[in-house]
Amino acid sequence: MKKQKYWYKLDNAGKIFPAVSQDERSNVFRLSFYLDEMVDSTLLEEAVNKVLPRFETFAVQLKNGLFWNYFASNTKHFEVEVEPAQVCKYFKAHDNKGYLFKVYYLDNKITLETFHAISDGAGAMHFLKSVVYNYYRLRGIKFDHENKILSELPYSKKESEDNFVSNYDKAKKKNLKEEKAYHFSGERFSNHWVLMMKLRIPTKDLIQLVKTKYQSTVTQFVTALLAYSIYSETVDFIGGKKPLKVFIPVNLRPYFDSVTLRNFSLYIKATFDAKRTDWTFENMLELTKLQFSDQLDKEKLQSRISSLVGFEKNPLIRILPLVLKTIAFKIGYNILGESISSCSISNLGIIDLPTGLEKKVIDADFVNAGYGIAMTLISLKNHTNIIMSSPLKDLSIMNYFIQFLVSEGLDITLDTNYKEGYDEIL
Amino acid sequence: MKYCKTCHVHYDTTLDHCMLCNGDLEHENDDVVTYKFSEYKKKNASRFFHRLFIFLNIVSILVSIYIDFLDGFPLTWSLVVSITNIYAVVMFILLAIPTIWTSKMTKSIIVTVGMLILIGLAIRNHSWALDYVFPFALMLNILLITILIIFNKKKWFDYFSSLSIVTIVGLVPGLLNLFGATQVTWPSVACFSYALVTLLGIIFLPSKASRDEFKRRFHI
Repeated sequence: MKKQKYWYKLDNAGKIFPAVSQDERSNVFRLSFYLDEMVDSTLLEEAVNKVLPRFETFAVQLKNGLFWNYFASNTKHFEVEVEPAQVCKYFKAHDNKGYLFKVYYLDNKITLETFHAISDGAGAMHFLKSVVYNYYRLRGIKFDHENKILSELPYSKKESEDNFVSNYDKAKKKNLKEEKAYHFSGERFSNHWVLMMKLRIPTKDLIQLVKTKYQSTVTQFVTALLAYSIYSETVDFIGGKKPLKVFIPVNLRPYFDSVTLRNFSLYIKATFDAKRTDWTFENMLELTKLQFSDQLDKEKLQSRISSLVGFEKNPLIRILPLVLKTIAFKIGYNILGESISSCSISNLGIIDLPTGLEKKVIDADFVNAGYGIAMTLISLKNHTNIIMSSPLKDLSIMNYFIQFLVSEGLDITLDTNYKEGYDEIL
Repeated sequence: MKYCKTCHVHYDTTLDHCMLCNGDLEHENDDVVTYKFSEYKKKNASRFFHRLFIFLNIVSILVSIYIDFLDGFPLTWSLVVSITNIYAVVMFILLAIPTIWTSKMTKSIIVTVGMLILIGLAIRNHSWALDYVFPFALMLNILLITILIIFNKKKWFDYFSSLSIVTIVGLVPGLLNLFGATQVTWPSVACFSYALVTLLGIIFLPSKASRDEFKRRFHI
């Protein structure tokens, strides 16, 4: 039997988010499934509440301790809501029965927005798949889960493990000093509204392009292309002092044999010198490949994990009361947090659904609203969605990125949350 | 579906113009396109009145101190006005932050007592505030939370934090009396004793649940 009352310490990645999150920096990411029918909100709510007890890491509320926040079990009835206009909207857990995620519905779409303190994209995807699978079961449509739906598999304690701590090795710590990165400037949309632009591309064509013409992976290709678009379209990057740094979160589970649903990802970065004036897409891609292969090394990843966990294990940090830690985190994050990255790219990969469910889910979104341009990739069936989100009104970088893909012969279908008339109100 | 001839991009949304070149989109086929998001509605600046309230209080402080200053030092009535203005702003912020109401109550009582002590200091007679208001307010707060816990045992861990804070603050009147900061002894001693007994009760309660709650709240 699974226990009803439990608590967790926040994992290393999640510790800072409660202190620094606000309207303009929600640290919330979105996963959506578009179904082949209109969503019944009553059944959806029932499905979420049915699945929740199985997902200990989602059925939690954030509590304040004297020294650290912690997660305590939450057994309150969860309520789904109509999707708001704002993507990755900041929400107060207190107004959400203590839960640190939201489930929205809109027409044929089911959306899960998760506060990053509880999970990352890979963990949240397991939860969403389970919710949608159970939604269909409640609708009376049953199909084989093919061992791909976590709610239908036995619970393992390993799902709730903090793998940052379990992979901590005191001897492998290294200095994590980061220089400041180039930052975009420009007019923002009002009321923290974030523009989302979704490019739907046939996966086969995309893979053929990156493999045969550029001998790279999709993530390396889009990283270099985004960097080259920024280099080509900005006027204040070249000649500046700050390098362009693209942060790419890496799912650490395959490297450390982990099945945790909690945060277990770490950023690697592609860095491009602002002093160099002869950048081409090809040499940016070559540099990206080198940096990826250098940083995607288990030993190096573990030494970075150890450095991060080592920081929270510092006795001086540990004895600092939570109130002071929160102030320190806020100050530290404002000085350093966003200044070390220019933009981010997160590739969730191919969504593996059971055959029956795959027929019902027609599309998927993965959105990560962050500073500057946040790019995400998600593949379902035979297409890949590259989603760019930005709080900035200037579309020139996105435009360059799209035109490059078009010039490479890719068939692009664009969707957006922008509407004519928004210019007047945003 | 729609199509932009200039950018060579298909559109699966209701836009009439291309986002990239602003050119007209052409209808490509008869597939119905829909807007797949909730429509954004213009909001009123909800924080305007919050800011206005804080601004008016700051103006009130500056104007009253200036008028009082015209009569020379020491400042008298303006300090009381200023403390009240600051109190109003702090209470406004405190009540606006969503949290459980026991936490709001505890914080409100502590802030109110602090305000009364400051007013006492401003009018050069703080004895009533420190000797009576401070200890009695804390005892009342401890009593209220204790009653809540007794009558709502299921939620006792929600009130734990407030009770811990208020019992620790409850020790302060006794310490003030020990160092001669208060003149009337019995309210301070009563508050100190009551807070100490409650604190010891929290620590030495034999239930496993309370020990677990301690472990959670004080994990380092």
